[in-house]
Amino acid sequence: MKFSVPIFDVKNLNFRVGDQEILKDISFQIFNGEYVAIIGPNGGGKTTLVRMLLGLSKPTSAEIRIYGKKLSRFKEWSKIGYVPQRASHVDANFPATVEDIVEMGRVSKRAFFSTLSKEDKAIVHDAMLTMDVVDLKDKMIGTLSGGQRQRVMIARALASKPEILILDEPNTGVDMASQKRFYSLLSKLNKEENITIVFITHDVGVIADDIGRLFTINQKATICNNPKEALSCEEMSELYGIEAHLIHNHKHEH
Amino acid sequence: MIEMLSYDFMQRAFLAGIIIAILASVSGTFVVLRRYSMITETLAHSALVGVAVGLVAGYNPLWMAVVLALVAAWLIEYLRSYFSLYSDAVLSILLSGSLAVAVVIVSLGGAFNNSLFSYLFGSILSVSTEDIYTIVIFGTVSLALLLLFSKELFFIAYDEEVAQTSGVKVKLLNFLLVSVVAIIIALSIRVVGSLLIGALMVIPTVAALQYRVGFLPTVLTSLSFAIASVILGMSLSFYFSLPSGATIVLCVITIFIASLVITKR
Ligand SMILES: Nc1ncnc2c1ncn2[C@@H]1O[C@H](COP(=O)(O)OP(=O)(O)O)[C@@H](O)[C@H]1O
Ligand SMILES: [Mg+2]
Repeated sequence: MKFSVPIFDVKNLNFRVGDQEILKDISFQIFNGEYVAIIGPNGGGKTTLVRMLLGLSKPTSAEIRIYGKKLSRFKEWSKIGYVPQRASHVDANFPATVEDIVEMGRVSKRAFFSTLSKEDKAIVHDAMLTMDVVDLKDKMIGTLSGGQRQRVMIARALASKPEILILDEPNTGVDMASQKRFYSLLSKLNKEENITIVFITHDVGVIADDIGRLFTINQKATICNNPKEALSCEEMSELYGIEAHLIHNHKHEH
Repeated sequence: MIEMLSYDFMQRAFLAGIIIAILASVSGTFVVLRRYSMITETLAHSALVGVAVGLVAGYNPLWMAVVLALVAAWLIEYLRSYFSLYSDAVLSILLSGSLAVAVVIVSLGGAFNNSLFSYLFGSILSVSTEDIYTIVIFGTVSLALLLLFSKELFFIAYDEEVAQTSGVKVKLLNFLLVSVVAIIIALSIRVVGSLLIGALMVIPTVAALQYRVGFLPTVLTSLSFAIASVILGMSLSFYFSLPSGATIVLCVITIFIASLVITKR
């Protein structure tokens, strides 16, 4: 894996608004097959960073490459499954069943026709099965609980058969019992389906054992190749203070 | 009903009306879900500028309405994306601006008469064979585009950013949607009138949303409400000599209120 092209390659990302530095000098790479957690306090810039990786907002300066291509040139978006932070806040009246939503995952994949093929339907069903929402498929999205919606959103992302899944605070609004199940599901996706996972959270407590690397973001980014070490590290507490410290920044190797 | 349909002008009016009901309700679903209902009012007033130009300069008012509505739609999108203005403010400015321009043109041209009245409130008497051709041609193209991209438009309505990061061409499709909406609004001003078309685009969908069903059933419900309102409204217009736009809108509002009451239980 050492010589493979990183999925994300970010160099010197800076974001300033007026004289406020929101993200400062951030560089990192994410490789195929990794399970990365990005943690940091609320307002630390995690969501902002991810939106920049996906071209949804513009940094002040940065060099961002996806699969080796410049962000502006990148076309294969269906390789990326993104579940934004506010994903589970849907309008209660939105006229979509769970199945309608998960089918959206096939939209950019299908040919120029309005109907989905048998194969598309099968993939949609599989994604719902994986996220355990098959029983809900005819329910209106607005009537589901937060945790159920979150699973539907991920099923939608999975339906596009992504190579990488980016989840921004997927654990909010999900009760503890289902969280455990959720984490084992994520590591299963990572190990068995070889889906690269980027898990963003403000909650240090949820960092699962399976996580390969940990990025901490609070204006600055620090990269830690051994998450267990990071959690026991005193400097971790300072992350939630004013400034982040460098814990580890080894070159990434497998 | 049979007697009514023995008149050529009523056949034309029904044909035009039903086509417009289909177009307005299908495109209206996306407009409502994008929370962009106000654009229908603005584009209707821009179409009126086209009508004014057509009436005064002697061009086909319907064609001119299509052109002006399209120009306005593109201007709105341009202003919204390049100047990051509040979109409701942009719509509001363009609405009054268009109306002012239309009134000035019509007054200067001395065309402030009944024919303008029929473009404001709709008239079943005024649909010509030429209008039918225009409506059928533009209407077919618009509907085909909407159906072709309905899944994408639905995805964008649900979550624009997720759609974009899934590879959906959001900018292009937004542009397509406002263009199609502009054309449909311009086409409708014969039958429904520019002051009332917004209602036919928005209310059937809002009524259909009350039933809380999936996407396709919502579109079909909205479609049936729109067609029912047009048929009922035009019949009332025929028997009581009322402007068709007004009777159509009253029918659709009745359906909306009934839907609210039925679904509240
Ligand atoms: N375009 C912007 N203009 C001003 N402030 C911004 C902008 N984008 C992000 N911010 C600020 O950056 C900070 C980081 O926010 P966010 O990325 O949502 O943090 P997190 O996801 O880690 O909780 C917040 O204080 C937010 O107000
Ligand atoms: Mg966030």
